[in-house]
This record gives sequence, C-alpha cells and structure tokens, in this order.
Amino acid sequence: MPLGRLLLRTSAVNKMISRNSFVASKPDPSKPNMLRVGLAFGSTAFLWALLFKQHSTDVHEYKTRNGLQ
Amino acid sequence: MGLLPDEAKVLPPPGIVNRNSVWFGLCGWATAMLHNSLNRRPALKAGVHRQALFITVGWFIGYHLTKYENYKYATLDRDMNEYIRLHPNEFPEKERKTFAEIVEPFHPIR
Repeated sequence: MPLGRLLLRTSAVNKMISRNSFVASKPDPSKPNMLRVGLAFGSTAFLWALLFKQHSTDVHEYKTRNGLQ
Repeated sequence: MGLLPDEAKVLPPPGIVNRNSVWFGLCGWATAMLHNSLNRRPALKAGVHRQALFITVGWFIGYHLTKYENYKYATLDRDMNEYIRLHPNEFPEKERKTFAEIVEPFHPIR
C-alpha cells in the first residue's frame, strides 16, 4: 500500500491529539463545564480566605512587635 | 511575607481594601470582560466565575504589592532620617520670619 494510504489510518488516534474542524466542537455556553466553574469559584474562595488569614496574621504580628497587645 | 525580610513585620499592614488592590482588581475584571467580548459573549453576564477569579487574583497581588511598597518607602525614610541625624551641619535650622516682619505697612487709599 502507498505510504499515504497507511498514514490515513492514524486519523483515529490523531483525533485525540489534534482538533480539526470535522471533529472539534464549538464551546457551548448553555452547557458549562461545571468542573472548571467549580475550580474557579473554589480557588476564588481559597484566595480570599488566604488573604484574610494573612491580613489577620500581619495585624497580630504588628501589634505584638510594637507592644500594643 | 515571601520577599520581605523579618523587620518588615514592624510596619502596620495595609487594610484589605487598599489602593493597589482595588486597581489590580479592576484590571482583572477588565481583563475578564475583554476576554468575554473577544469571544463574542456578553461582557458582564458571561463567565462570572472567570470575572470573580480574575478580580480575586488582582486583589491578592495588590495587597502584597502594597505591603512591599510600604516596606520600600519605610526603608528609604529610615535611611534619610539616619543621614540627617549623622550630618547635622548640612541641615542648619533656618530662622523663620513672621509675615508681620516681611510685609510692608498697609496704607489704605479709599
């Protein structure tokens, strides 16, 4: 068989690695990727918690070092 | 404090709401809205999770940037005051005149 015909066989595997217009799907806003949304909101909450904790640690450190409390 | 030395903890920490945080938060929000509009989605109503995440990341970076800025300015002030203290001859006390001594007498012509 010519090499070109052989290489056509890779199209089944190739679909997993590359996207072409016959295979790929457009992002559908009516079906959100809940994992990604959950991760985004989760990391948002985590960062806010981290920020508030860091702030309270800083305030405590400041007060201890300057003998205010 | 990751990039700040231990002595920086003597300084008062910035509030949660501070200038840099607000600015970076707004920049993050603008980035998320731009991302929406470039992907032909409604700018404000789409991808709220993305907007929230970007605002939070900006706010976080702004808080730590404010801490770093406070430390840098505090070290500059300390070095400046130390220099002034060690070189008093370069900073003589200027004698101050009151306005009464400088200003000419007022003769109203009515």
